[in-house]
Amino acid sequence: MQDFDMLLKNSAAAHGHLCPGQVVGVRMAMLGCRLIGLDEPTRIDQIKKLIVFVEMDRCTGDAVAYVTGVKLGRRSLKFVDYGIMAATFLNLETNTAFRVISTEEARDLALVYAPEIPEKYPQQLEAYKRMPDSVLFRVQKVRVDISEYDLPGPTRKKVSCSQCGQVVRDNREVVNNSHNLCKPCAQGAYFSEAEEVTWPNMNWTPAQKEQPPVIVADAEIKISNACSHQGTKTRRGIIIK
Amino acid sequence: MLVATKALRHEGELLLSKSLVLLWQEKIRRLRMIKTIKIKDAVGTKLAHDITEIRPGEFKGAAFHKGHTVCNEDLCRLQKLGKNHLYLIDLEVDEIHENEAAAIMAGALAGKGVDWENDPREGKIGLKANRDGILVVNVAALAAFNMIEEVMCATLHNHTMVKAGELVAATRAIPLIMKRAPIERAAAIAAQGGGVVSVRSLRKEKAGLIITGNEVYHGLIEDRFAPILTRKLIDLGCEVDRISFAPDDTEIIRRAICAHIERGCDLILLSGGMSVDPDDVTRKGIRLAGADEMHYGAAALPGAMFLVAYIGKVPLIGVPACGLHHRTTVLDLVLPRILSGEKIGKKELAFLGHGGLCQDCSECTYPHCAFGKGA
Repeated sequence: MQDFDMLLKNSAAAHGHLCPGQVVGVRMAMLGCRLIGLDEPTRIDQIKKLIVFVEMDRCTGDAVAYVTGVKLGRRSLKFVDYGIMAATFLNLETNTAFRVISTEEARDLALVYAPEIPEKYPQQLEAYKRMPDSVLFRVQKVRVDISEYDLPGPTRKKVSCSQCGQVVRDNREVVNNSHNLCKPCAQGAYFSEAEEVTWPNMNWTPAQKEQPPVIVADAEIKISNACSHQGTKTRRGIIIK
Repeated sequence: MLVATKALRHEGELLLSKSLVLLWQEKIRRLRMIKTIKIKDAVGTKLAHDITEIRPGEFKGAAFHKGHTVCNEDLCRLQKLGKNHLYLIDLEVDEIHENEAAAIMAGALAGKGVDWENDPREGKIGLKANRDGILVVNVAALAAFNMIEEVMCATLHNHTMVKAGELVAATRAIPLIMKRAPIERAAAIAAQGGGVVSVRSLRKEKAGLIITGNEVYHGLIEDRFAPILTRKLIDLGCEVDRISFAPDDTEIIRRAICAHIERGCDLILLSGGMSVDPDDVTRKGIRLAGADEMHYGAAALPGAMFLVAYIGKVPLIGVPACGLHHRTTVLDLVLPRILSGEKIGKKELAFLGHGGLCQDCSECTYPHCAFGKGA
């Protein structure tokens, strides 16, 4: 693993800015990997051993992902929306897992660890570099029972939603009265009033080197189905209530 | 949306009931490890903790110690101390008694020059200096330690001069029993950098004095600086090697400094010429002598025009004229720290600001006042 300064510099570049959360995230990842016996988590022989559960979608989460090399698409990065500044590092080979929690008191202690810096964020940034791991983090040894459907590797199962026809991968369907349903159909979705549309230059492919212009007016986008009932309109035009 | 709202409400209720279950489980756990018995049933049982007696203005201490077997004769006294019930403790494997916790913490808090005895009184362990010197407190580690729930440590101020045997800190766990994990984490925090409290001995340095100023050099007035500085150095265990006098002449001041260094002085104090007048050239003389680091100005009154410089490892201290008038100045704050081997730079002089204002009392009680206690 690179040294802390190099990891922080590169993590901040990947994230877009240097901030206290980046310092915490880089150190959280370094500690987490150390605890589960990985010294080069991005190296080919270790990359498949690691799964990280990130419990927050803040700057720290990006730093943890950068240092460990875990990725959503590779299924090595799991986002668990707890709103807690913590991440769990699981070694699939040894089945050991540690949950590293950023302490709340570290924020109050920034003043005593970097008293010469008056501004809040620069003070936190420097203080989080100076604090020992024991002050910055609490650690729990935990057991993680991970489903085979959550493991990296090829898709293990596909079913179609009996309501909208959408293919659902990896056991994420909801079975309702023996019918497989996708979660939007079964439980509602984060979106609403979905309507299929057509848009200008909709036959573009990368083979056409020139990219079509961005669409600036909503009027250019046409709702392809005349129905305007509430509910989800599917590509087949069926309205789900 | 209706479904989603219902799901959310259900989830909320589930969370609420889960947290109630957790609270209840914790309550049951505590009930299981601590049982309360009536005093009349306590005969033959061992006390789980010291029982404190307070007689206002007369006595505060343990009337009964942890582990004491309660006998019939004790019942009346216990009741007079307001004890109608006692605890019986049944520790789980991951739990720890306050006395054991105090010992773990004391061991981690104590740095070099600090001793402690594993003999907790009312759950407290005192940490004492095992030598004369200056108390050094890792203030950041102390704060981090005290942020852990259920533990505490209180110390004397950082940089207090202490004698061997003097109490410098005390620690205790707050509850009677607690989980072991937070205690071990608190101990790890305390042990960072060699403990939270340590006592550094002062080096018995060979010091040189240079008294600058035309008025003294040419005999227009009598020097009063040398006796004051000599007394302060001797009180701190130093030896004054030689006292030189120099006019307000940079070259002569430079030569005087070099002569002291050649004679093997470990420390040089210069008085006068530290102000802003055209005749105040001591700073320039120090620079000409080869100072590779120089910090002029300290956030303390009296003593704003204080100077610390280094030629190699030899510290040079420029004492402003306030040292003649005030019994206690910034010199009294900084000199012991330099003698303890601490490198004094811009940061150390700046941090004197908090608490660095002398109240100029008609009768000086330093060090028993706030002067210099905030740094």
